[in-house]
Amino acid sequence: MSSKPDDQLMLDSGLSSETRTAPPPRTSVLFGFIAFAALIAAQVFSILTSPAEGDMGHLQKIMYVHVPAAWMAFISFFVVLAFSVRYLWQKRENDDLLAASAAEVGATFTGLTLMLGMIWGRPAWGVWWVWDARLTSTLVLFLIFVGYLALRAFVDDAEQRARWSAAVGAIGAINVPIVYMSVKWWRTLHQPPSSPATLDPAYTMGLRLNAIALLLVTIYFIRKRYEIARLERAVEHLAEAAAMGGK
Amino acid sequence: MEESNLKFIIAAYSVSWLVILGYLARLVRKGSRARADYDLMSQEIPGGGPQ
Repeated sequence: MSSKPDDQLMLDSGLSSETRTAPPPRTSVLFGFIAFAALIAAQVFSILTSPAEGDMGHLQKIMYVHVPAAWMAFISFFVVLAFSVRYLWQKRENDDLLAASAAEVGATFTGLTLMLGMIWGRPAWGVWWVWDARLTSTLVLFLIFVGYLALRAFVDDAEQRARWSAAVGAIGAINVPIVYMSVKWWRTLHQPPSSPATLDPAYTMGLRLNAIALLLVTIYFIRKRYEIARLERAVEHLAEAAAMGGK
Repeated sequence: MEESNLKFIIAAYSVSWLVILGYLARLVRKGSRARADYDLMSQEIPGGGPQ
């Protein structure tokens, strides 16, 4: 618990006590339903319409989940970077909570990207894993954000937790361009980045649709996780208020 | 579709949905627990919670 007086804490967060203990608005269930329906539709469309690729055959269909998962991890870590920097600048509690929510979603998608890469790598390269620059830098990114989440779980003081995790989050997100550029900077087994600009037109629509659908799911996840984080903090503020009232 | 490739494609899509639905289930469970804690706490504290 912070040693600062309650009035000072309110000034730091830029919020009144009523705002700090008020429940956040509920995340739209309808939006979540639309996001998941869009993901199913995009996957069905891309599986049914994309032809077998020259080198990889139908194995190429893994791209529709692997590549968007990696992009969503990058987007989530960009959110972490933006709100971590804003927290360090303005010390708003909600910025810390939003950065932490995006970090959890980003770590989930990075873990998924690594697993899908391994499933793709086994038939394509003959190995599940290789210490290639792209794979290794992605693993490092994953471990940084697992460390970020562990840090948040172990630090009790809310202000210290927010400050430390903002620093780790901002530094960790710097690894994203390294992951992206790794296939250009170093000689790697991993192919160059896949994007609608580099793909055969037969596959671009499927990739675009899957990326948009997974983006909707990502927004829903971050929004929902943020709602939970704000509820948990509101409970902590209520407990602090109760403790101060009982003195 | 070559059978050995099909096995890996099914594995990839299964893992994707397991992770996505698993995370969704975690959020739903955590969300209802947080909401219940909040409701309980705001009832216990006079003047706490939404005014």
